[in-house]
Amino acid sequence: MKKIMTKYAFIWPLFGSIVLWTAISAVSGKFNVGQVFSSAKLCSFALLLALGQMIVVTSGEGAIDLSQQYILTLAAYISCDLMQYNVILGIVAAVAVGALCGLVNGLVNIYLKVPAMITTLATGYIIFTIVLVLAPGMKTLPDQGLVKFINLNAGGFSMLTVICLIVAVVLALLLYKTKYGKQLHAVGQKRLAARYAGINVNKVVIIAFTLGGALCGLSGTLCGAFNGGAFQDMGTTYFLPSIAAAFVGGTAASGGKSNVAGVCLGALMMYLLTTFLNAASLSVGMQRLIQGAVLVLILVASVSSDAKKS
Amino acid sequence: MKRQENQTPYIELCEIDKFFGITKALQKISLQIYAGEVIGLVGPNGAGKSTMMKVLTGVLPPTAGKIMVNGKEMEKYTTKESKETGIACAYQDLSLCTNLSVYENFALLNVDHGIFTKRGWRKNAKQETRDLLEQYFPGNRIDVMKSVEHLTLAERQIVEICKTLMTENLKVLILDEPTSALSTDKAEQLHKVVEELSGKGVAVIYISHKLDEIRKVSDRIVLMRNGMNSGECDPEEISTDELVEMLGGAGGKKEKTEICQESSSDKAVAAQIRDYTGKGLYHINMHVNRGEIVGISGLVGSGQTELLNLLFDSRKYRGKEKKGVLLNSSVSYVSGDRASEGVFHLWDIFDNTIIGNLDQVKSGIFLDQKKSEELAQTWYDKLKFKAEGIHSPIMSLSGGNQQKALISRGIASGAELIILNDPTAGVDIETKQEIYGLLDEAKREGKAVILYSTEDAEIEICDRAYIMHEGEITEELKKEDITVANIVKASFKEVKHQKVTEEKKENVLQRILGSRVLLPVAAMVIMILANASMNPRILSYMGLRMLVSSAVPLVFAALGQMFIVTAGDVDMGNGYSIALVNVIVGIVLTGNPFFGVIGIALFILCYALMGALIHVRNIPAIVVTLGAQFVWWGIALVIAPSPGGTCPQWLLSVYKFEFPVVPMPIVLCILAGTLCWWILFRAKYGMVLRGIGNNAIAVERSGWSYLQAKMVNYALSGLMVILAGMSYTAVCMGADANSSVSYCMLSIATVILGGCEMAGGLVTPAGVVCGGIAMSFITSLLTSFRVDSNYQTAVTGMILIVVLAVKLITHKKEGR
Repeated sequence: MKKIMTKYAFIWPLFGSIVLWTAISAVSGKFNVGQVFSSAKLCSFALLLALGQMIVVTSGEGAIDLSQQYILTLAAYISCDLMQYNVILGIVAAVAVGALCGLVNGLVNIYLKVPAMITTLATGYIIFTIVLVLAPGMKTLPDQGLVKFINLNAGGFSMLTVICLIVAVVLALLLYKTKYGKQLHAVGQKRLAARYAGINVNKVVIIAFTLGGALCGLSGTLCGAFNGGAFQDMGTTYFLPSIAAAFVGGTAASGGKSNVAGVCLGALMMYLLTTFLNAASLSVGMQRLIQGAVLVLILVASVSSDAKKS
Repeated sequence: MKRQENQTPYIELCEIDKFFGITKALQKISLQIYAGEVIGLVGPNGAGKSTMMKVLTGVLPPTAGKIMVNGKEMEKYTTKESKETGIACAYQDLSLCTNLSVYENFALLNVDHGIFTKRGWRKNAKQETRDLLEQYFPGNRIDVMKSVEHLTLAERQIVEICKTLMTENLKVLILDEPTSALSTDKAEQLHKVVEELSGKGVAVIYISHKLDEIRKVSDRIVLMRNGMNSGECDPEEISTDELVEMLGGAGGKKEKTEICQESSSDKAVAAQIRDYTGKGLYHINMHVNRGEIVGISGLVGSGQTELLNLLFDSRKYRGKEKKGVLLNSSVSYVSGDRASEGVFHLWDIFDNTIIGNLDQVKSGIFLDQKKSEELAQTWYDKLKFKAEGIHSPIMSLSGGNQQKALISRGIASGAELIILNDPTAGVDIETKQEIYGLLDEAKREGKAVILYSTEDAEIEICDRAYIMHEGEITEELKKEDITVANIVKASFKEVKHQKVTEEKKENVLQRILGSRVLLPVAAMVIMILANASMNPRILSYMGLRMLVSSAVPLVFAALGQMFIVTAGDVDMGNGYSIALVNVIVGIVLTGNPFFGVIGIALFILCYALMGALIHVRNIPAIVVTLGAQFVWWGIALVIAPSPGGTCPQWLLSVYKFEFPVVPMPIVLCILAGTLCWWILFRAKYGMVLRGIGNNAIAVERSGWSYLQAKMVNYALSGLMVILAGMSYTAVCMGADANSSVSYCMLSIATVILGGCEMAGGLVTPAGVVCGGIAMSFITSLLTSFRVDSNYQTAVTGMILIVVLAVKLITHKKEGR
């Protein structure tokens, strides 16, 4: 039983999602698949952040990226601004800037030996400043073509959901089917052992940060298009759900264990929770309170059993 | 003291067996320890000395056999019983809190645990410690006020030994390699201590590789080999040479099983080192040819691992000579320290095997599942794993089988040079034989093998062997000459290089430059001067009051962060917890003082519980506090959905009090800093609070509760957050659940600028206060420079990174 639970960590968020969906139905008085689809659409941005966070955390030794929300905002501005020239240029540039931010995080973390938490806290504020400084001179409206494209809808599936699924599949292939994926998980379990197994640990960790940053960039691009433009605090709302989704989905806080499917369902679950809290018409304060409490409780229930063993 | 006839031994081990799986670490070992005798315990590497000591101290339960105390058989024998029996061990790995001063380490052990202690206990503790050190090691010149991390290795060892001597009702003292770092005169003092103790009826077990010393101090020498007793002798009737011979066995000719001799085909050099000195190694000259197995041996810790690492690390410069090290081939490394350097514990045999060989099983960009499984299966069959299949989790295997996976990882990688660091540690005979067979096969394929083993007999399978002692190669043995006897002999050979004596001289200037408070104080002074040069009026009473006033909340917030950093954690949620206090004070407390006070008390309780949760469930503090911040925020929003409220009048009158000469905010900062300093550095419990951030095990061993200490750390942090929230309310005259978020980042930056170590244990309240003032002055400076307020957060971020980078550089200078 326990074996199955550890192997299929996504069962937890799946179960949570079903419970929440039932609860929403109970509160609103009717079963509605649409709520699941709309949650799946809304969770896209947090989901991409969560997947990025998962990669970073999996590299172990307390690695975490706290600058994600600011990278997202910066990327949104850049994509919106450059889209006035070319849509593709906007998307590519935003993702590249995200990757660059992640690269800087990784370099500072590895070569200046500053703990990841402090590195990303500091770079996060620097990135935020860049946003504040650049924002007034930037065009903040997304390209209408892109807006139309991401709002396409097929049988309930939003284009955003489709994009997320593609990203998830690509990541799953990368993490579980390639050399890099194996090395990342090895590095996350024990960096010293990974070094002796002939793995270039520094490179693996830096790539993890860079990938994480690129995902933030992508998330920012989509987010800017979806919200009809970039604004300064746009990243803040996705911070808690993304962290929660990453850990709920079966990412080991101690590193070395990831679960793409789990994180996807985790993000869905966090947005079903929001939908539920909205449906139950609770105040903003109560919503935050419950979200925070749920996150801590989930951590207590799931994370600790892994951390204790090592 | 010699023992009398017919005396019963104080404690006796009778025919103790200790098996780890199939490995027989101890077999029918017996040892009688009589009161007051000094037993010299000697034996080659892997003889089972430390295992026996672990049985004696109750750390390991014996598989079979009896332990008798005063002639009575003990039914249960754990660390607790061992302590009660009066057994104490001076550990080789030191059990001191390095961030605490020498006398505090002693005081942890013997100060009473009550809340109040007599005044002057510190003075007494210092004097007692000084007396104790002086009594046993006269003229040691150890400053008891210095923190342990600033002592030399030798001084630490002395402190460690003296700490062990303080054990109540000491009956048996175990000294494990006590003189490894001591100079000759200090070693002699130790021998006097041993003599004295023995005179008082304390038995001493003296473990050492220094045979002269053993002969000098002990009443009786006990020899061990391969986990068995191999005789006893009287130190006065035996010479050191005879002792070496007894340890190495009869020596003589080697009965070498004919391991192929036709390895002459390829004699290319795989790696060579010419006259390398550094990293604890001296004048290393060695080479490894393809098609040979080269052994490295000598006493444990003589530089063998450093040598192996040197070779492995030079893989980046393959084919190029660097500092005399030349590596001509690809290289793989197999570690015997499976737990920390070898296995990936979350994985199965399959993944653990292929991780070193991913290039072989790739097809295109993806890994080929079929090829991978084939590879793993081939090695699985070849090494005859005892498991259900290649997908058995690695942690479900015995040590020997785990090692098989590591060896197959190393050999299957196709590397031309295979480095093995004690690969057969804790591996049964059968597996060992299989491993030797594999090495032989690798050799015949023309690969080079370097084998370091702590088991001297194992070196006999090698073609050549280098024996090391104290970082130097003392002898190169070839073929027939590789016998245990010769290895043991070479292991004890004198070395040529001078042992570097650690001597740290410190003058006043260096001490000031090395001080943690220097940076924050300098930053504060510079900031004040910079502000003053822009606007001289701020140096007045009113000017300072106005400026420092806005710094007070940050100072408190940073002090709160500091308490959590003391425990080695970090609080990512204090931005919102300050907001919560702000709301409680500004709305609840002004409306209904009773509920307000209860709210504040509950808040401190919540912080303490958060600490307990982090400790008990062992979850990273960063994630818990991140989650908790939304709880604080949520509660704050429930109480105050929109900004409002006022500051209670009494709070305002305290805050705006016209203190003579010195403005009130400065007085508050000084008071806050002094209070925290007093708690951490003057109060008795402060030692515990700081100790857990450095070496929690040592604190627990001294009889304090880790959980309680962590909760107190968090509760104190909660208290500081409350003060921060109150002063914040006084500064902004109202309550807002959203406005104090930036304190999280600022407080972390301040704590780092203030000279605290994020790893825990090392904190400086004065530095944090100065850092807080400096940080807040930076903001006002930027404002007066008319710098866009947008840049100000970036400046904070930059300061963080610069300060940490500066720290990195200065630490390097200290030569760590």
